[in-house]
Amino acid sequence: MHSRPSKWFRLAVVGTAAALPLTMLSLEPAQAATTNVSVVGYSVVGPAFTALETDFKATPAGQNVTFTNSFGASDTETNNLVKGQSADLVNLSYEPNMATLVTYNKIPANWANQERTIGGVNAALRGKRQVTVYHTPGIVTDSVVVFIVRPGNPLGITNWGDLAKSGVQVVTPNPVTSGSARWNLLAGYSAQISLGRTPNEGQDYLKALISNTIAQPVSGSAALAAFVGGTGNVLLDYEDDALAAVAAGDKIQIVTPPQTLLIENPIAVTDLGLTDPAAVAFYKFLFSTAGQTALAGLGYRSVLKSVWTSTESKFTSFKKPTDLLTVEALSGWTNLNTEFFSPNVVFPSGNTTYPTQGIVTYLEKFAGSTS
Amino acid sequence: MHVLTRLGRGSAKGLAMTYLSLIVLIPLAALLTNAFNQGLGSFWAAVTQQESIDALRLTLTCALVASAINAVAGLATAWVLVRDRFVGQAILNSIIDLPFALPTVVAGVTFYTLYGPLSPFHVNITGTWIGITVAIMFVTLPFTVRSVQPVLESFTFNAESAAATLGASPARVFRTITLPALMPALLTGTGLAFARAIGEYGSVVFISNNLPYRSEVASSYIYSLTTSNQTNSAAAVAVALLIIALILLIFFNVLSQRLARRSA
Repeated sequence: MHSRPSKWFRLAVVGTAAALPLTMLSLEPAQAATTNVSVVGYSVVGPAFTALETDFKATPAGQNVTFTNSFGASDTETNNLVKGQSADLVNLSYEPNMATLVTYNKIPANWANQERTIGGVNAALRGKRQVTVYHTPGIVTDSVVVFIVRPGNPLGITNWGDLAKSGVQVVTPNPVTSGSARWNLLAGYSAQISLGRTPNEGQDYLKALISNTIAQPVSGSAALAAFVGGTGNVLLDYEDDALAAVAAGDKIQIVTPPQTLLIENPIAVTDLGLTDPAAVAFYKFLFSTAGQTALAGLGYRSVLKSVWTSTESKFTSFKKPTDLLTVEALSGWTNLNTEFFSPNVVFPSGNTTYPTQGIVTYLEKFAGSTS
Repeated sequence: MHVLTRLGRGSAKGLAMTYLSLIVLIPLAALLTNAFNQGLGSFWAAVTQQESIDALRLTLTCALVASAINAVAGLATAWVLVRDRFVGQAILNSIIDLPFALPTVVAGVTFYTLYGPLSPFHVNITGTWIGITVAIMFVTLPFTVRSVQPVLESFTFNAESAAATLGASPARVFRTITLPALMPALLTGTGLAFARAIGEYGSVVFISNNLPYRSEVASSYIYSLTTSNQTNSAAAVAVALLIIALILLIFFNVLSQRLARRSA
């Protein structure tokens, strides 16, 4: 009865055993050993890295380099890194994640200087090196917060004010788990500041925006999936992600609001990666004209002035410099993170309209109690 | 022979204890340590946060409704599989276990497509407790079916036929003879389904719309706490969930033992 299957089984075992040394041989080419670079990044940047890694492998420095990738919600990935996941290169959604990695000795404290020391990029407008558009070191890609609407923009949404109107359903990821959600909410706030309104009026605006929010998926990618799946009238998203979705054939339309926030995604070679020449070379490639041109092709606003000048026409421009505020212009990530996203809500003495700490946490709770 | 049996029993016990320690007891102890290492006050504060209460309430409601519906639907399914004969029965019997095999995220996305905003049936249950409940029902259905089915299979018709011969209506036979015999297995299955339901993440996190205080389930709230470095609070809410599950499981177990004794 069972002699037949066991014969086949034995054959399979022998076959596999014979094939093993052959595969191992083919994995180890005679001329050079392969090196692996492990990349950890925020959820939305995944596809871009896949493309850039292919480009890099075609360069002399990228010969015999392999990649392992892990992409997910920025805070989750950061948490995994803290808990011991190894990485040579990290590209996270926002700067506070990098600060956490510095605290846990995963990346050097002067990681932002790698742009100059490894990438050969110079923030100053002199010398032979390449020059950045914005003077924020350690940032590999820029983007802006945009709206994604249904084809034909049936609700006629053009600016942030339209999102606060009654009946408009907004989708944006959960700000506790997603870096992109934090960019989105701060963009709504910064637009009010750009329009000359007071911080208090900015908070009024956030209150209206959050009460119009009908879904907060765990990451930027999940939010796009929910919107494409039919949820909501407007999705807040990175411009690059929106452009990628349009390129992928999703039936959506991008609306760039007249005022918004500049998204700056930091990158660093980790302490571990600094011992791996391939990781260092890949970092350098990402800041090169070739790497930045590829990123611009994928919908990112280049951080290099030369590449930005040649690709600028692809992107919606802003009328005044104050229409596109940076996090630094608002008050910096350290302050903003506490003020807006602290889990502990703290009110100033004698004033209970808005807290000085954890504004978004408070507004989420308020929206929950009134629904 | 006698010595060998005892030796075998001894090593089996050793293996079971080591295995249980590594897989269940040590992780549970670590979880408890995390939940209580800031003191009982912090544990209570974490559990009674408004967001935690809202998430726990939603999760428990959906889990209870889903396991109650599955108790009835699962019993009916097991009944049909054992007592009826129809074409495709064997296939249906194998399909019952699929919810266990299917990655729960896939189940969530499937429900989103079928019963979401773009539903071909024009039914949108996303962002509601009904949506969460339906996803949970799918994931936990095999528990009830598979606990009732073997009991129903080994059940002899003698008592049922005798009752029928004595003039009892089919409904009365079912109520007084069949159901009491099935009750212990049904309760065990329902208890397992409930315990599994309160921890469910993959299938519900998408369909719920994940709005804090509104449609966020406990597992998603715990996940958000762990990602924002509030590990102790996350452990506290998880332990609260476990305690509630434990109480319900004990309740179901006691009840099913009572019923088993009475029907025996």
